[in-house]
Amino acid sequence: MITHELIERIEGEAVLDFQTDKSGVVQDAAIRFLHFRGMEAILEGRNALDALVIAPRVCGICGHSHLIAAARMIENAYIDAGFSLTISPKAHAIREITLSCELIQNHIKWLYLVMLHESGKLLAEEPPVALKALYVTSQINQLCALFSGQWPHSSYAIPGGVTCDPTHIEVMQALKILSEVERFVEDEVLGCHAEVFRNHIRDDSLLSLGGDFGKLLRNFERLRLLDTGKSHGRFLVLGESGGSITNSVQSTADIALVSEDCSHTFAEGGVTYAKNALYNGEFYEGGPLARALVSKRDGISTLYQRHGDTALTRITARIEEMVTLIAHVRSLVSSLDLSQPSFIPPSSIESISGEGIGIVEAPRGSLIHRARIERGKIVEYSIITPTQWNLGNGTASNLGIAQKAMIGAESIAKASLIFRTFDVCSVCTTH
Amino acid sequence: MPKISIMPSNPAKLRVIWLQGITCNGNTHSFLNDPSLGTLLDSIELLHHPLLPCAKTLKELVKKLPKSDILIFEGAYSPSFERAGMAMESLLMTLALKTKHIISMGSCASFGGIFKENDPEHISGIVFDKENDSGPLRDMRKKVITLSGCPAHPKWLSFVIEMIKANKPILVDEYRRPRELYAYLVHNGCLRNEYFEWKVDSDHFGTKEGCLFYAQGCQGPFTHGSCNKILWNEVSSKTRSGTPCVGCTEPTFPKRDLFTTKTYMSIPSEMPLGIPKRSYLALAGAAKSFHIKRLEERLIDDHT
Repeated sequence: MITHELIERIEGEAVLDFQTDKSGVVQDAAIRFLHFRGMEAILEGRNALDALVIAPRVCGICGHSHLIAAARMIENAYIDAGFSLTISPKAHAIREITLSCELIQNHIKWLYLVMLHESGKLLAEEPPVALKALYVTSQINQLCALFSGQWPHSSYAIPGGVTCDPTHIEVMQALKILSEVERFVEDEVLGCHAEVFRNHIRDDSLLSLGGDFGKLLRNFERLRLLDTGKSHGRFLVLGESGGSITNSVQSTADIALVSEDCSHTFAEGGVTYAKNALYNGEFYEGGPLARALVSKRDGISTLYQRHGDTALTRITARIEEMVTLIAHVRSLVSSLDLSQPSFIPPSSIESISGEGIGIVEAPRGSLIHRARIERGKIVEYSIITPTQWNLGNGTASNLGIAQKAMIGAESIAKASLIFRTFDVCSVCTTH
Repeated sequence: MPKISIMPSNPAKLRVIWLQGITCNGNTHSFLNDPSLGTLLDSIELLHHPLLPCAKTLKELVKKLPKSDILIFEGAYSPSFERAGMAMESLLMTLALKTKHIISMGSCASFGGIFKENDPEHISGIVFDKENDSGPLRDMRKKVITLSGCPAHPKWLSFVIEMIKANKPILVDEYRRPRELYAYLVHNGCLRNEYFEWKVDSDHFGTKEGCLFYAQGCQGPFTHGSCNKILWNEVSSKTRSGTPCVGCTEPTFPKRDLFTTKTYMSIPSEMPLGIPKRSYLALAGAAKSFHIKRLEERLIDDHT
């Protein structure tokens, strides 16, 4: 039997075409995205710096990642054109602070608005109050705005640095907000100290955790989903230190092996606007789990060795990343050297003809912006979003990451919940 | 039997539907930043919202389109664009007829915005298409409040909802934007105002000093919006973080070459709103003839 399931309460909407057997077990799943805006075409023909305003509008929840990717892309084009371009350590750190804030608020929203809500619904339980979480995400976004002016849709990162010139007033406010966020995460999300949480990961005793994260895991256990959701076990991280892939053994990634496959898109007579993103012709999983494994963070690596790429591991990786990032932001904010320049002026954009690539580790995985610039104008622009890696449509012999994770689920409802563990964003996928 | 309330003055909650057209979800996430979201949500009944807990899923909503008190529309309009398999042409139109108030949330819903650029012929705002009042809800404009901005500020939205709840009339401008929010220019309240007054240019980005209007493309002096009165995320704004205003509340958004000021004979070619060029030149000439040491120095010498 074939069922078309509309997936809501994600960023945008998706349609899943499920093929099930007599007992309702999922045999096949196709992922379709039916909305398209043409962001690349909108960027083409414009001054390259306009990308700093247009690109964030790809996505309301991870637009800051798109901003940083566009800024890095232009900076890379300067280098390609033979110009020098320097970023001060301060500007670099500030970008990392604001980008991390975007990941943290994303992961909290995913936990409360999507996962707790949808898993509770499946158990016919009243969803928990998301408002406490939204207050905290508004605080994290405020921390971001202390530097970026606003969230969402800031344009404060520009080739050569950042536009802001913060004082200790912003730094102290940021540290105060961080304390509030830390308290929320320990009291409400984890129900324990961050270090105790890490011990639970290592001891494989996460189900005994209190807090809303523990509740989500117990929901998954009651639904018999914790050990499901296995995919290929191939991971990719392109945005950090030159990029890495891991497929039982870890190796350096080669950006030249990244490709897009349009064979399922409307343009090729297919059923979706989404293009597949492939590495060396194969699907790879990106996102928090990939980042934890590639950077060999010990807790998640141990959990992965025991349980593989199951829902348990994937969910825990996103929460663990949030906890890690909060500590990372604290150390970055505390060590900002405000005496350094925020911005080191590069040559005028009109003098630049070249190709640029900007890669960012966004909330859902590796985000790539590529463009060809001629005398400061964008001639060609190409975006590959994280969800293109995770939510691609393959064939029976070469299944996409989320596709493979859903096949074998006991019901369509359960498969849909597994789909959501990948943190689905339709606006990014098609852009 | 209706439930008897212990609080006799408890008024019926406003029934609100949040519908999305062609969007990035930016206004949805901007709205979630309102720190008093809980108080606001307590006073309304969300029939549908794309992310917040609400009475109906999208699938349920399109099955039987309900009456509402407020319809909030986010994103640009295109007649054939579908939500849950239903084309906007009938979905938006039916919900609009069945509601008392419509809020056009953000610049895409208001004027077409960025996404219009890819298909200018079919994509527009709900009442306006750029400056023209040729959108699909033009005949219902009397019940539309425009909250342009990319995104719109959460407090602009909660202000309008509170006004509707209090049954108070909202004064609007030619694009049906609340005058109390949009009579201001982004320039008003900018921390760099003194540099503007004395025509002191910002040498480059990344400093606290200098005005961004002369070289960096700032559109603050001719863009309507209270960004420097009702601060973003409670703490800042584009210009306060050294970023030029990109004019995102205006029907002309997005213009081109957003980080450069177009000049004519080294004078910005677009004047501060309502200022005749001759007046500007006279004043600028006078201001520039002085060298004011304090404004040419760094505001704070050393951070160490």
